[in-house]
Amino acid sequence: MPELYLRLLNRILTPVLLLLAIYLLLRGHNLPGGGFIAGLMAAAAFQLQILSRGHDRVRSAIGPYLNSGIGLGLAVAICAGVVGLFEGTFFKGLWFKLNLPLLGYLELGTPVIFDLGVFLVVVSVATSFLLGLSRVSESAVIIGEGSVSPDLTDDPAFDPMETAGETSREVES
Amino acid sequence: MLAASISLILISGIVLYLIRPERVAWAGWLAALPPLAVTVWQVSAASSGTLTGELYDAFHAEQYQWIEALGLALHFRLDGLSLLFGVIISGVGAAVALYTHYYLENDERQGYFYLALFAFMASMLGLVWADNLLTLFVFWEGTSVTSYLLIGYTHRSAIVRGGARNAFIVTAAGGLALLAGLILLGQESGSYTISEIVTRPGLTELELYPAILVLILLGAFTKSAQFPFHWWLPGAMAAPTPASAYLHSATMVKAGIYLLARLHPALSEHPMWLWSLLIFGGITMLIGAITAVRYWDMKALLAYATVSQLGVLTTLLAFRSEAALLAVVVGILAHALYKGPLFLVAGIVDHATGSRDLRKLAGLRHSLPATSAVAIIAALSMAGLPPLFGFVAKEALLETFFESAEHGAVAGWIAFGAAAIAGAFFVTFSLTLLWEAFWRPGSKDATVSTSSEGAGPVGPTPIHHAPAAPFVAAPLILVACGTVAPFALQPLSFFFEAAASSIYGETVHKHAALWHGFTPVLLTSLLAIAAGAWLFLNRSLLRRSLARLPERLRGVVIFQGVLDGMYALAQVTARFSQGYTLASQSAIVLLAAFLPVVVALRQIQLNDLIPTADVLPGAPETILILMTVVSAYVTIRVRTRLGAIVSLGVVGVSVTLFYVFFSAPDLALTQLLIEVLTVVLLVLVFTKLPPDTRPPLQRLKQTRNVLVALAAGAFGFFLVLFNRSGAFQAAQSISGYFLNNSVPSGHGANVVNVILVDFRGFDTMGEITVLALAALGGYALLNAPRVNLPSARSARPESNFATERDRTISETESDTTESEPTKETE
Repeated sequence: MPELYLRLLNRILTPVLLLLAIYLLLRGHNLPGGGFIAGLMAAAAFQLQILSRGHDRVRSAIGPYLNSGIGLGLAVAICAGVVGLFEGTFFKGLWFKLNLPLLGYLELGTPVIFDLGVFLVVVSVATSFLLGLSRVSESAVIIGEGSVSPDLTDDPAFDPMETAGETSREVES
Repeated sequence: MLAASISLILISGIVLYLIRPERVAWAGWLAALPPLAVTVWQVSAASSGTLTGELYDAFHAEQYQWIEALGLALHFRLDGLSLLFGVIISGVGAAVALYTHYYLENDERQGYFYLALFAFMASMLGLVWADNLLTLFVFWEGTSVTSYLLIGYTHRSAIVRGGARNAFIVTAAGGLALLAGLILLGQESGSYTISEIVTRPGLTELELYPAILVLILLGAFTKSAQFPFHWWLPGAMAAPTPASAYLHSATMVKAGIYLLARLHPALSEHPMWLWSLLIFGGITMLIGAITAVRYWDMKALLAYATVSQLGVLTTLLAFRSEAALLAVVVGILAHALYKGPLFLVAGIVDHATGSRDLRKLAGLRHSLPATSAVAIIAALSMAGLPPLFGFVAKEALLETFFESAEHGAVAGWIAFGAAAIAGAFFVTFSLTLLWEAFWRPGSKDATVSTSSEGAGPVGPTPIHHAPAAPFVAAPLILVACGTVAPFALQPLSFFFEAAASSIYGETVHKHAALWHGFTPVLLTSLLAIAAGAWLFLNRSLLRRSLARLPERLRGVVIFQGVLDGMYALAQVTARFSQGYTLASQSAIVLLAAFLPVVVALRQIQLNDLIPTADVLPGAPETILILMTVVSAYVTIRVRTRLGAIVSLGVVGVSVTLFYVFFSAPDLALTQLLIEVLTVVLLVLVFTKLPPDTRPPLQRLKQTRNVLVALAAGAFGFFLVLFNRSGAFQAAQSISGYFLNNSVPSGHGANVVNVILVDFRGFDTMGEITVLALAALGGYALLNAPRVNLPSARSARPESNFATERDRTISETESDTTESEPTKETE
């Protein structure tokens, strides 16, 4: 039955976490937050999804966008840096002051856009690792039923990547 | 106009790419137009005379600013030498552009080929028109890159990929050396403008002259396929024939010759120049000429002939006489006008019969009369028979060497001897090519001979695809130009003299001639022809003895050995620096970070490190420290995985609390999120793994791990102490700057974030790039059906010698790799 609670929690928490991520991203320049933290927060939301709904469904929903997300994030970050060239040098910060009717007075600059790029990269990278590892952990169960890996490493394996490599090598043999 | 011409060529390439030329019947003619226009423009610009009226001066010059901060400028200049090369590039380019449409008929990627070809043409024009060392270098590299694309056009074949790779590695490595040489030259002479450098006296007396010379020669020799780099050129014959004809006979391989000619006035007045060009040029000339006859592939034979011709030109440039420079100029034009058509003919034969193998071809003069006529004239010109253009060029060069020898120069005798020997072999392989492919009758009932000698009876090769008229027109036009030239030497002399004068730096008063009278040179020439004919009759003997040369002496084989050695070295380095287990890898990383800090710490007094009373922890911090230490100890002691994960989580959260206490909310947030994600992830992965039944670690390894851990801990401890020490506090801190400037110039109150995205935005850029790369690596690792340990076999890209079987295996492998994730999604 724990699945049920998890699903309920997921229903409530995922939107909250994602909104929180956006909030952290937007306020990052003046208060604790920023692209990196916001990215991790969004990744946590996806992690919750993976746990409650299984990685297959999450993968089919957002999987195709992850690699493009990394590229897009890098592109946004580079563009934010290139804009500075018009005013002098690469990565020179440019600021615009906007007076929007609803949001009020807003200060927008290339560093904020750069932060958006960081956010995109971090959330895509973290989620793609989470998805990949949860798939590996599932296949590990299948292997685990048959053989037991005797001579992995000389270290109590705390690195999931290492384990992923080892189990996969077993498939080969 | 010069910059506009380069842009015109580039834009035409893009247009040709967009119109899908394989579907347009007149695309070949359309493609020939822009290069033709550039040719006409160059000739008309030259006919109006030079800027100052002196023959060695420029006809036309242009200057544009590029990057002022670096002193980079786009200087273009059209003088006699540039005109010679420019006319060859655009003129032969027009013929090749026409030819390509028919060679690659019905090929879907024809547009791509045109794009690469025109980009190459633009780079080549830029290279010969550039009047600034750095501009020249940019275009030089442009030719390397575009030629790589052209050679690797049929990239599904491993042999093609290998050839393209080898050519690129050699020319790009030479390019690097050249860049160093050009910068040295620019710094030492005080100018980057070529036309100023060449008028500057005394460059050869510079202390750095040997270094400049060696670096520049490396660049020129790699590009122009001189010994010991000559082998990349035959390997590059894997390119489609239009590319071979254009790049590897008429233009790109002459870029090195062009560079030597361009810098000739500045650098040639030194014995080092004479001897290095003479020796390397001479060896190249002989190797190319002697080994050409060994190859059955028409293109390979022509490639070695080209290597030999390039050696001849290099040897000529070793000398400083007017006659030598005139011979260079005539030789370049003659070579373009006979070798280009021969390559094009090889392509037509390949297209019509499906083979370029001399063992399988015979009697083409009946089935391909027009093509054969072109081939016969061009090959006789290559052999240097009168009254063809090749003869004029050969006489000019023998005359030069003989003249130098008559003055008692040893170099002259060496060059004369080598050229005479090479001349004989030129006759041999030209006649072999002619006889075996085009002239020999071939018996009607004979099947294809399989004997390695190729002497067996061969039937006349059947034609299954007659060439279209414009297809043959391209080489025909070039050969016609070459045939008319010897009888039009008078009108052409302006062209030759302008080119020779701009190399010489003064006006040259010397004319090429078809007939020099009965001289020792003519006698030598006739003797060489006779010797060549005799060798042609005994060519099977020659081929047998050449085949006996050991395989491992071939340049390609040696180069592959060097490459393999590099991969092996890389593997050893990787094994040493990364290790194969998590423990050894983290040990290496930690210790590597540790060492520089130890060195830095040795600079300060030890008693500086003793902390003052005010930095001792208070009650809350003490509790946190205890919590961290205890949970860390539990982590290594606890037997179950879940227990270890949880206690590791406690360590992380305690550290987070530290950040909270010391008011670093951003760090605390990040750390907390990372902790949450890792703990959940570890629970996810490890609880599903089979129980750990491995035997406990060996004592030795355990000790090693403990020592590394202790070292890392000590490193952190001392770093913090150092942070609090008087020496560090006395140094000027950067924090003040960040705190003061964050709001006014960073427009943000969160200093940490402003540092990340603004003050140190470039660092963050690097970090997210690393993250992205790590994600790609992880993606490959986690989604691969199986993971291979790096081994010599898999780490090495396919070599020249990879067989067809290898290729299919690797392709199936990659197929499965790609299809696996898709299956998962479904």
